[in-house]
Amino acid sequence: MNLKDNYRIELRAAIRQLTDRCLYAASKWAGEQLVGIEHDPAKFTPANTRFQRGSSSIRRRFRSSEVISTPIAGVSYVSTPIMEEDEIVDGDFYLLAKSYFDCREYRRAAHALRDQGGKKSVFLRCYALYLAGEKRKEEELMELEGPLGKSDIVNRELVSIERELSTFRKNGTIDPFGLYLYGLVLKEKGNGNLARTVLVESVNSYPWNWNAWLELQSLCTTVDILNSLSLNNHWMKEFFLANVYQELRMHKESLSKYDYLHGIFGFSNYIQAQIAKVQYSLREFDLVEGIFEDLLRNDPYRVEDMDMYSNVLYAKECSSALSYLAHRVFMTDKYRPESCCIIGNYYSLKGLHEKAVLYFRRALKLDRNYLSAWTLMGHEFIEMKNTPAAVDAYRHAIDINPSDYRAWYGLGQAYEMMGMPFYALHYFRKSVFFQPNDSRLWIAMAHCYQTDQLNMIDEAMKCYKRAANCNDRESIALNQLAKLNADLGRTEEAVYYYKKDLERMEDEEREGPNMVETLFFLAKYFREQKKFEEAEVYCTRLMDYTGPEKERAKSLLRGIRMEQTGAPSMDIERFPP
Amino acid sequence: MAGILKPPGAFQVTPHKVSVCILLQIYAPPGQVAVPFPFSSADHHNRFGLFLLALTKSFDDIFEPKLDDLIHQLRGIGGLVNYFLIDSLTNRLSSLLSPDDLFNFFNDTRGVLGGPDVILEADQVVLDPNSNLGMFVRRCVLAFNLLTFEGVCHLLNSIGAYYKEALSSCSPNEAPQLDDSSNDLETLSEYENMDLENFVFEKVTEEMEARQRAGGRVSFHLHAPKALVGLVEDIEVPADPKLKYGDKLREGCHYAHPPSNTLRDLDPNGGLFLRTNWQVQGFLQEQADALEKQGGSFSLNDFELMLRQLQSLAPELHRVHFLRYLNSLYHDDYFAALENLHCYFDYSAGIEGFDFVPPASVSDTLGRFEIALLCLGMMHFHFGHPKQALEVLTEAVNVSRQQSNETCLAYTLAAICNLLSETGISCTTGILGSSYSPLTRIGISLSVQQQLFVLLRGSLKRADNLKLKRLVASNHLVMAKFDLTHVQRPLVSFGPKASMKLKTSPVNVCKELRLSSQLISEFAAETSSMTTDGAFSTAWLKNLEKPMDLQVLSHESGGSRPSAFQFCAEPSPVPASVLQLVGSSYLLRATAWETYGSTSLARFNAVVHATCFPDVSSTSDTALAYLKLIQHLAVSRGYKEAFSALKIAAEKFLSVSKSRILLLKLQLLHERALHRGHLKLAQQVCDELGVLASSVTGVDMELKTEASLRNARTLLAANQFSEAAAVAHSLFCMCYKFNMQVENATVLLLLAEIHKKSGNAVLGLPYALASLSFCQSFNLDLLKASATLTLAELWLALGSNHAKRALSLIYGAFPMILGQGGLELRARAYIVEAKCYLSDPSFSVYESPDVVLDPLRQASDELQLLEYHELAAEAFYLTAIVFDKLGRLEDREEAAASFKNHILALENPQDEEDPLIDMF
Repeated sequence: MNLKDNYRIELRAAIRQLTDRCLYAASKWAGEQLVGIEHDPAKFTPANTRFQRGSSSIRRRFRSSEVISTPIAGVSYVSTPIMEEDEIVDGDFYLLAKSYFDCREYRRAAHALRDQGGKKSVFLRCYALYLAGEKRKEEELMELEGPLGKSDIVNRELVSIERELSTFRKNGTIDPFGLYLYGLVLKEKGNGNLARTVLVESVNSYPWNWNAWLELQSLCTTVDILNSLSLNNHWMKEFFLANVYQELRMHKESLSKYDYLHGIFGFSNYIQAQIAKVQYSLREFDLVEGIFEDLLRNDPYRVEDMDMYSNVLYAKECSSALSYLAHRVFMTDKYRPESCCIIGNYYSLKGLHEKAVLYFRRALKLDRNYLSAWTLMGHEFIEMKNTPAAVDAYRHAIDINPSDYRAWYGLGQAYEMMGMPFYALHYFRKSVFFQPNDSRLWIAMAHCYQTDQLNMIDEAMKCYKRAANCNDRESIALNQLAKLNADLGRTEEAVYYYKKDLERMEDEEREGPNMVETLFFLAKYFREQKKFEEAEVYCTRLMDYTGPEKERAKSLLRGIRMEQTGAPSMDIERFPP
Repeated sequence: MAGILKPPGAFQVTPHKVSVCILLQIYAPPGQVAVPFPFSSADHHNRFGLFLLALTKSFDDIFEPKLDDLIHQLRGIGGLVNYFLIDSLTNRLSSLLSPDDLFNFFNDTRGVLGGPDVILEADQVVLDPNSNLGMFVRRCVLAFNLLTFEGVCHLLNSIGAYYKEALSSCSPNEAPQLDDSSNDLETLSEYENMDLENFVFEKVTEEMEARQRAGGRVSFHLHAPKALVGLVEDIEVPADPKLKYGDKLREGCHYAHPPSNTLRDLDPNGGLFLRTNWQVQGFLQEQADALEKQGGSFSLNDFELMLRQLQSLAPELHRVHFLRYLNSLYHDDYFAALENLHCYFDYSAGIEGFDFVPPASVSDTLGRFEIALLCLGMMHFHFGHPKQALEVLTEAVNVSRQQSNETCLAYTLAAICNLLSETGISCTTGILGSSYSPLTRIGISLSVQQQLFVLLRGSLKRADNLKLKRLVASNHLVMAKFDLTHVQRPLVSFGPKASMKLKTSPVNVCKELRLSSQLISEFAAETSSMTTDGAFSTAWLKNLEKPMDLQVLSHESGGSRPSAFQFCAEPSPVPASVLQLVGSSYLLRATAWETYGSTSLARFNAVVHATCFPDVSSTSDTALAYLKLIQHLAVSRGYKEAFSALKIAAEKFLSVSKSRILLLKLQLLHERALHRGHLKLAQQVCDELGVLASSVTGVDMELKTEASLRNARTLLAANQFSEAAAVAHSLFCMCYKFNMQVENATVLLLLAEIHKKSGNAVLGLPYALASLSFCQSFNLDLLKASATLTLAELWLALGSNHAKRALSLIYGAFPMILGQGGLELRARAYIVEAKCYLSDPSFSVYESPDVVLDPLRQASDELQLLEYHELAAEAFYLTAIVFDKLGRLEDREEAAASFKNHILALENPQDEEDPLIDMF
C-alpha cells in the first residue's frame, strides 16, 4: 500500500476515535490533514479536485523549494498500530453522556458516567469534569476579579482528577487519552517534569492526538528539553518538531520541516498557515500575504491565524485590504479574540488609537493570555503617549512569555520616551538577547546610547555594527556609522562605511537625502585627497539631482577642475583674459 | 487594568468576620437586660467585650485566623463559659447552609445595633452604632449587602471550608481542659523571659548559625501574623502558635528538615482568607525595614520562598517584587536584584505606597519613574559601580525636574552626595558634565570636592525647604563627614578672595552633628502618626492577649483585678528610622573624635551607640560600634582582651557583617604579628587583606589604603626599606589623587618612619614635618603627637647635640600622648624620653637615676602587655645599662635576663606557644 494511503487510513481511524472522546480540536486538526494529503494524480476523483483547485498557485510557489526537502524522505517511520477500541459497542450511558457533553453540560455528562468502568467512559468522565472545572474557573475569574487582572483562581477539579488518574497509571490501566489528560492536569498544577514524561508516553502510544503534542510543545521551552525527550519516530513527530522549532525561534529548521510536510500534505491549510507564520517571523511580508490570500480563497471563513495576516497588512499599510479582512472576520465570528485584534489593528492603522485599545481590550477579555494583543495594546499606548499604561501592558506580555522580544523592546521604547535612556538600556539589552538577529533592535539600542544624556558613542557604534551585520533593511546603521565616524574625525572609517552604504543603495536602487549626503561626502573627501577623477565621478552623479544639490555639485566640480589644472588656474579665473 | 492601579482593598466579608459577628450577637443579644445569659458577672461580660474589640481591631492580619485559632483564644477568655461560647459559635457556623441563612444571619446581626431613635432602658446591652464594635458590625452588614449573588455563594463556600478545616484538625481527645491555658502561659512566659543572646552564647555548637537565624527571627515573629509564620516555617502549623515558639527555641534542629510540606500549606482555598492589599503592605513595609536593618541575617531562600507564596496569593501586590529586590540585594545577587527592581517599577510605576508624600500635581497619573531611577542608582552604589550609579542618578535628576518632583530631586541629590563622599572618584568631568551644578553651566570646572560641597549645600537647602526632616538630618551627617575631612576653601567664583583659613573646622562638624540629632526631638514632639497602621494593630492585639491571660488567672484565684484598660499598646513615639539616623550620628561622632584624637570621647560615643541603639540601627552599624570598641581595647589594653572581645562580637554578628569583623580580625592579627616579630604570619595576613581589598566586589578605597599601608609596614618590619618606601610612595600618590587627606598624613608619617629606620634621618625630617602640617590643618591631634614623637626620634638620630630639642618636642607632645595615646605610643615616648636624657651629655645618671628609670619601667611594663618584643628588648637593654652604671648588679642581671628573653622570642617567633594562632 502507498505511504499516503497509510496516512489516510490512520487519520480516518484517529478522527473517529478522537470524536468519540470529544477531543474536537484534535479531531478537527486531523481532519484538516486528512483532506490535505495530496492525491496521486492517477486516481483522483472529480470530488476531490474541487477542493484542490484553489491552491494551485501556492503549490507552484512551493514546488521549487520541494527539491531541498526531499532528502528526509529516506527516513523510515515506526508504524504505530491503530488502536483497537475496548468497547466495540458503546454503552447506553456513554451515549447519553456524550450527548450531554456535546450540549456542553459537562457536570451532567460526568455524573451520567459515575459508575462506568470502561477506559473510554473513564476518560470522558474525567475530561468532562476537567472542562466543568475550567468553565467554573473562568466564571469565577469574572466574578471575583477584573477580567484583565491577575488572579489566583484555579480549577478545583484538578486535585481529584489527578488523584484518580495517578492511581490508574500506577495500575497500568490507563490509555493514551487518559495519559494526555493526566499530563494536562499535571502541567496546570505546575509539575512540568512529570507532565512531560506522561505526555511523551501518551504520544508514543497514540501519536494522532494533536492536543497532546501541543501540550508537550508548550512544555519544551529550551532546545535541551526538546533533545531530552525520547519520542518514537512517527510521522506525527515531524509536525511536532516543526511547531517546536518555530516556537524556539529556529526558523530555518522549522521551515525545512514544513516544506517537507507540504510535499505530502500538499493541500493542508494548517501547513500553509504555519509556513506563513515562519515567513512572518523572517519578515518576508510579501510571501506571507500571498499565502494568506490563497488560504482565504480556499477557506473563506477561517479566523485562525488571520491576526497575523492583519499584522502583515498593517506593516504594508494596506488599510483597505485590512478593512476588508476585518469586515469578513467580523461577519464570521465577532467574538473571537483574533477578530477583535484585527479590528484593533485596523483602527491603529487609521490612527484611531483609543478605539484600537478598546478592541485589544476586548480581545484580552476573551483570552487573557493572548500575547500579541498585550504587545499591540502596548504599542497603542505608546502612540497615545500613555507610557505607564504601555509599560503595564508590555509587562503583562512578558509575564505570559518572558522571551517576547517585542515587549522588551516596547518597554525600552517607553522608558526612552520618558527621558530615561539609561534605564531603557536594560530592556533593549533583554530584547537583543532574545532576538540577536534583528537590526531594528540594535538600532534602537544604539539610538539610546546616542542620546544627548548618555552620549556613549563607542557603545552606539558597536550596536550599529551589529545592526549592519544582520541585514539592516533601511540601512540606517551604515549611514549612522559613517556619520559618527566622520564626526569623530575617523575619516578612513567614514569613507569605508559611506562607500558600503552607497553600494547598498545602488543595489537596492534607492535614492534620497542619504544618497546626496553620501555622494557629497565622498566627492569632498576625494578632492581633499587630490584624487580628482574619483571626486569628479561622484560630482557628476550629483548633477543628476535638481535643485540646490545640483548647484552645490556644480560649484564643487568647478573647484575640482580648477585644482586639477593647478594653482595658476585660480589666477586665470580671477583675471579673465 | 493597564495603567490603573487598584485602590487599597475594600472591606470584605470573610468567614472569620462572620464568626466575630456571631460572637457579637452573643455579647449583645437584643432585648436582654444587664448581664446576658452565659456571663456570670458584668466584669466577665466586659472582658469578653474587650476581647471582641481586640478581634475587630486586628482584622488586618494578612491571613485571618482559622477557626481553630479563634476557638483556642476563646478558651483562654471565656473561663467557665468557654464551652458555651465555642459550642454556639460552631453550631451557628454549621447552620449556615444556604444563601438564605446568610441573609437571615446578617439581618439578625443588624439587630444588635441600637438605632438612634431607640430609647435606652437602664442596663440594657445595646451596641452604639458609632462605637468600634458597632462600626465593625455596620461595615460587615454593608459589605454583605453589596455582595452579588455570586459573592454570597463564594462566602458560603468559604464558610464551609473554614468550618470543615476546624473539624478535621480538632482531634476528639483535645477536649478543652482547664490547665491548658496555664500551660500555655508557662511556655509563653518562658519565651518572653528568654534572653536570646545568652541563649546563643551558651551553646556554641555546629548549629550555631541556624540558631542565630532563629534568634534573629524571633523579633520579627512577634509582629508577624500567625498564619504567615506558618508559611515561613517548615513545621506544620500546630493548633497553638505560641506553643510552637517554645518548641522552636528548644529544638532548633527543625531547621535541618528540608521544606517538604510548605507547599502543601498552600491549599487552593488559602486565597480566600487573604486580607486586603493595604494591610499586607503594612506587613511588607515592616519586612522591608527588617531586611534593610539586618541585611544578610535573612536566609535568602526561606524569605524568597515566602515571598513567592505571597506573590501567588496576592498577585496584585507589587511590593513583593520590591522585597524580592531587597532580598537579592542584601545577598549580593546582582542579576536577580536588577530583574526584580525593574519588575517592581514596571508594575507599580512607582506609585504604590512609597514613603514619599504624593504631591498634588497633575503628573500623578503618569507614574513616578524617577523613583525607579533613584533606586537603581542606589543599587549600583551598593554593588560598587559608582560610574553607573552616577549615570543613573544624573538621569534621575533630569527626570525629577521634568516631573517637578522636588522631593525625589532632594533625595537624589542627597544620594549623589553620598556617592561622591563615599566612593573615590578622581574625576567627574565627563560623567557629571551634563549634571546638576549651577557652576558647570557657567563653565567653571570644579574639583570633585568643590562640586560635592556645592551639591551638599543645595541638597540641604532643598530638603529644608521641603521639610523632609529625615533627609535634612542625614544631609547634616554627610556635611559633617565632609567638614571632617576637607579643608574649607572659598570657591573660586564666589566673591572677593576671603582669607584662606587652611584648616578643617571641628566646630562645624560639631554643629552639623548637633543639627542632625535635633531630629529626634522634632519627632518626639509629634504624635505617632508615622507608624504604619497595619503594624500597629497587630502589635496591639499581641499586647492585649498577654494581659488577658494574666487576668484570667487572677480572676480564678480570686485576687485583685487590674484594670484591663491599662494595656493600651503604646508604640515608641519616635519612628525607628529616625532613631537609626540618630544612632548613626553617634557613630559618626565616634569617628570624628577618633580622627581628632580623643580616644575617650570616641569610645564613649561608640558605647552610647552600642548600648542605646542596637535595636533600631542596622546590624552593620552596630558591628561598627563594636569594632571601634575592640580596636580601642587592643590599643589600650593589649591583644588578649581584644581577642576575647572579638570572639564575642564575631558570634554576635555571625553572618551579617562578616567582612567587617574579618577585617578587624586580620588587622589585629597583623598588628600582633608585627609586634611579636612573626613576619611570616604578618605577610600571610597582609596577603589576606589584599584579597579582601581586591576589586571583585566593588572598590572600597578605605580597605585598599588599609591593605597597602599594612603591606608597607610589613616590608618595613622586614627591613626591606626601599620596597617599603616604594609601596608607601605609590599609596601616597593614590591618596593624593583621590583627595584622601587624612590618609595622606598617615602615609607621610610612615615614610618618615621608614627613613628613620633605614638610618637616613635627614631624609625622614621633611616627611615628618609634612605629616605634621597635614595633621595641623586637619586637626588630627593624636596623629600630630605621634608625628612629633617621630620628629623627636629623627632629631635624636642626628646626634646627641640635638637631644635637648628632641626632649622639648616630646614634652610638648606628652599631654596628648599620655592622655589619649595607646600602649605602644606611650611606651615609645617613654623610651625616647629616656634616650634623650641618656644621650644628653649634661645629664648625669648618678644624680637622678629615677628620671630615666621611671619611664623605662613604665615602657617595659606596657610593652610586655603588648608583647612588643623589639621595643621591650630595647627598654630592658637601656635599663640594664643604667643599672650597670649605677652598680646595681642584681637589678642589672634581672633586666638583662628579660632582655635576653625578648630577643630570643623575637628571633624565634614560631617556637612560642601561641594560643591565638588558630584564630587565623
